[in-house]
Amino acid sequence: MRTFRLIGQFMRASFQEEAASRTNFFVNLLHSILNLGTGVLGVVVLFGQIDEVQGWNLASTLALLGVYLIVSALRGLFIGPGLDALAGMDGKIWSGTFDFTILRPLNTQFLVSVHKWRLFAILDLGLGLGVLGAAVARLGVSLSAGQVVAFLLALFAGVLTLYAILLAFAALVFWSPGVLFTWVFDAFFQMARYPVGMYPGWLRLVLTWVIPVGIITTVPAQALSGSLTPGMLFGGLGLAALLVVGASLLFRRGLRRYASASS
Amino acid sequence: MKTRAGWALIRGLWLSWLQYRSFFFLLAFGWMIPPLIYLLVWSTAAGEGTIGGLSRGAFVAYYLVLILVNQVTYSQTNWTVGDLIRYGQMNRVLLRPLPPVYDALASEFAGKVVFLAFDLPVVALLALILRPELEWTWANGLAFLPALVLAWGLRFLWGYWLALLAFWATRADALLALQDALVFLLAGQVAPVALLPGFLQTLAKILPFRYMVAFPVEILTGQLDLAGMQTGFAFQAGWLSVAAGLYLLLWRAGLRRYTAVGG
Repeated sequence: MRTFRLIGQFMRASFQEEAASRTNFFVNLLHSILNLGTGVLGVVVLFGQIDEVQGWNLASTLALLGVYLIVSALRGLFIGPGLDALAGMDGKIWSGTFDFTILRPLNTQFLVSVHKWRLFAILDLGLGLGVLGAAVARLGVSLSAGQVVAFLLALFAGVLTLYAILLAFAALVFWSPGVLFTWVFDAFFQMARYPVGMYPGWLRLVLTWVIPVGIITTVPAQALSGSLTPGMLFGGLGLAALLVVGASLLFRRGLRRYASASS
Repeated sequence: MKTRAGWALIRGLWLSWLQYRSFFFLLAFGWMIPPLIYLLVWSTAAGEGTIGGLSRGAFVAYYLVLILVNQVTYSQTNWTVGDLIRYGQMNRVLLRPLPPVYDALASEFAGKVVFLAFDLPVVALLALILRPELEWTWANGLAFLPALVLAWGLRFLWGYWLALLAFWATRADALLALQDALVFLLAGQVAPVALLPGFLQTLAKILPFRYMVAFPVEILTGQLDLAGMQTGFAFQAGWLSVAAGLYLLLWRAGLRRYTAVGG
């Protein structure tokens, strides 16, 4: 109960901060529309030339793009802003203001993960859902209840995986402050815009096992197009759980290394 | 005198940039990823056959050249010009006995060296792995160089005049994001211009963005005949003079408005 009340407070404070500048709203709107437009046109141009690549067609690739937009929006909503403030450019670990975070009588990992919200991302979430809806309509199949459940489970596993990777990359900053590890991840994450099957073999292995961004979008999209095996689904869920545990342990070990800065 | 001062600026900035080289290597890595994604997707799509006359190896060659051209022509400086004006730091630059555009140019040159120090080895490595196919002719090579210089000049001045709008509006850098999105769509990144659907292709050939990146790449990879090159150069020179005119106009008008906020 207290947890939810706290999250509500964090959301309110973040919203007040965000609403202070109205120009930013329109700039954000422009960025969202550009992101949507370039993503959709990229897929449309590709499938204007060919009908199918590695078993993916226009509708299923658009569905995957929808998943990518939804997952990015969730990241932008609450995971990303907090971890960016922690480990991004001039982050709290680098500047030493992290002191004030660990002094609070709360679990530190919980606090850094949910203390900052960017409510504008709800619009991005809507756009992603729109792309996904349009793609499912184009797929022309009626989804069974089992498929919807499998999709939601796969999406949940994807978001957990994303959270775990982001947390792990942010935790690395405890070992070498000043290196923008989350930016390295951002570069790899962009590859999740397309199915892992479209990449050459060696990269597919990296994107599945080393930096598993492939699982984040490819598996949920496969659940919708019906080409997902139960083994993949439960494997993905298991991997997500493992990654969250591993990343939390890494974060805790990093936390013990933290010795403040400049004070 | 001006040349010597210019060189001193370049040298100073270059030395200071090298201090942060890991940061700039990270930036260069991030910029390399989107064209790399499309390289992999298109070459997978081409498989053993061809798409629009391009084979797998031709796509690889096209995109590897594009990665380099994109880096050479990308003006990271334009993002900071607006901040200089907004925060009043332009004062320091204005006091120098050189027009401030020299400051931007110096940081352009200094930056290119650092970014290319990262890009060239990576592209060479990618070329070893991905086996590009490029038919080199001296005519194409010789036409490539002026096209590249003009492309850089056009992209720099176009971004610079957009950035100068900061004299009038606080968030003019939103327009730079719009430029980046249009470059992504129309300058041969999402697909070679020849593969774009009809309407987009016409738009790409008329608007200035193709002449900032794709045009030199198309010349070097032999996609253009003599007539195509001639019209291309005509468009490129035309847009370059438009950009130069707008720069002069906005610079003079803007400077009269400038009130040195902050200082």
